[in-house]
Amino acid sequence: MQIDYLIEAPVRLTARLRVEGFTVLLGASGAGKTTLLKALAGLLPATGTPYAQLAPQERPIGYLPQGCALFPHLSVWRNVAFGLRGRRRARRARALELLERVALGALADRAPQTLSGGQMQRVALARALVRNPALLLLDEPTNALDRATRAHVIGELRALIDQFGIPALVATHDTYLAALADSVAVLADGRVAQQGPPDEVFDRPATRAIAQLIGFENVVRADLVERAARLPESLKSPLDAGAAGRELGIAIRAHDLQLMRNGAAIEGAIALSATIKETRREGLATRIFLDGPMALEALSPSPCGDRGWQIGERVRVAVAPDRMRLVAWDG
Amino acid sequence: MRRGALLIGMRRGALNLGAIGALSFLVLPFAFFAWATPWGRLHAVAGDFDAVRVSVVYTLAALALIVIGGTPLAYWMARREFRGKTVCEGLVLLPLLTPPLAMGLLLALLYGPHSMVGATAARLGLELTNTPTAFVLAQVYAAAPYYVIAARAAFESVDPELEQIALTLGKTPWQVFRLVTAPLARLGLAVGLAMAWVRALGEFGIVLVIAYFPQGIPVKLWVNLQDLGLDAIYPLLWIFFLVALPLPLLLGIVSRSYVMRTETV
Repeated sequence: MQIDYLIEAPVRLTARLRVEGFTVLLGASGAGKTTLLKALAGLLPATGTPYAQLAPQERPIGYLPQGCALFPHLSVWRNVAFGLRGRRRARRARALELLERVALGALADRAPQTLSGGQMQRVALARALVRNPALLLLDEPTNALDRATRAHVIGELRALIDQFGIPALVATHDTYLAALADSVAVLADGRVAQQGPPDEVFDRPATRAIAQLIGFENVVRADLVERAARLPESLKSPLDAGAAGRELGIAIRAHDLQLMRNGAAIEGAIALSATIKETRREGLATRIFLDGPMALEALSPSPCGDRGWQIGERVRVAVAPDRMRLVAWDG
Repeated sequence: MRRGALLIGMRRGALNLGAIGALSFLVLPFAFFAWATPWGRLHAVAGDFDAVRVSVVYTLAALALIVIGGTPLAYWMARREFRGKTVCEGLVLLPLLTPPLAMGLLLALLYGPHSMVGATAARLGLELTNTPTAFVLAQVYAAAPYYVIAARAAFESVDPELEQIALTLGKTPWQVFRLVTAPLARLGLAVGLAMAWVRALGEFGIVLVIAYFPQGIPVKLWVNLQDLGLDAIYPLLWIFFLVALPLPLLLGIVSRSYVMRTETV
């Protein structure tokens, strides 16, 4: 399904993306993910296609908000049957059928407040699916989950959505969830700045904002002095890297930076000198903040890799060219 | 150590004593009334039951008008953000903050036979002083702010996201209000209704000015006291309590037990 939306408020957004299978809308907090989802559901004014001219109750859309928003005054089955018309018996039968499919048939008469987070989510999913929507919208489905249950719940959710065969647009800032998607659309600077399969987006971010969002801690400003005849494969980014006048950046993940005591060198690597400004233990690793021609962040494995880096120490910082990514500096 | 425990104990004792004292002070008039009632020679005087009928029937009518007009106003104030909202909130409070006698005079000036509104209504056959309409009018002005304030707070307590979800599930805004908002706001709405009922039923000042007739319980109590003396107020005062209290109690009980019973169409 092709989506083409223009939203003016509360944030200005131009959203052009394709929803295919399990599509993740990835964006930082405040980027406008929920705004786009609500606009698609008809809860915020927008122009575009599809459905923009329809009232929310007329749109074939199932919406799962953050926190599920189950009706607290209705039992589980009545929550699921809420979107149905007709006789009580028929509505209950349809609700029970859906609850069975999400493995919650036994809890049909319970109050929603008595369910666990994962169960609530499945009830909300069944409720969103009850009218056979053409598009499913999920807002931050992993937000309230701890790390241990997250993988399990996402797996279940993904399997269920695949089973129902309805395209889903899932808004999240969780890169783990994005990595499991069929397609990732990244919302940055008020537009969908990049869309593609997760491996492509994660390996070849198009812009500085996307690189930062998906975990490139270092994005440094670069000037295109001369275009090399044989550009390393990694630098052939999705953008036209050689476009004249385009401001560029080089993105490097912290763990791809190697630190050496002065004098040491790595063959083929690009290196510069820097001073250690601050160190911070992060579980089994140490994060090192460097000052030099540019501020950099490195991640050194420890304790085995913890070689007693001292604050104020001069070091050489090296990176292999194939670990660098060329990105657009502004959008 | 023992001194500390003693101090805590004393503080707790003082708090208990204070609370019991305040509670007793509030209940004292009612207890004394029950004790002082001449149970052996208790009998209603002429017109007492008419006053009960007038009070109950017209208060129910006033309550219906308050709900019909006050519910949309309360919902609008709870859900819409606009410039001048604070002024609107103040305007709702205005009749409540005005002394009843003053409010009665204001209504007499506006709806009385010498005003344009009153004269026009009279020409159309609708007398707005000393008629059942005037009685209901006085009650609406007296009680509506209580209902609107409570209903507004009740609507504000309903998560707007639940209403939005209901819309995405194919319900019209009216169905959303009926199936989601009103059931979830039921406790607050019941409190508002109960307060409005008691306030309208007991209204004396406004009614005295623009609707001395037909006489409801409060005015009849006053008349009994003036014409017949203290003994004549006991039966009607007991009836007043019996009429005024059941509805708030019933509303409280029903709204609390009304859990997960709402049908979904």
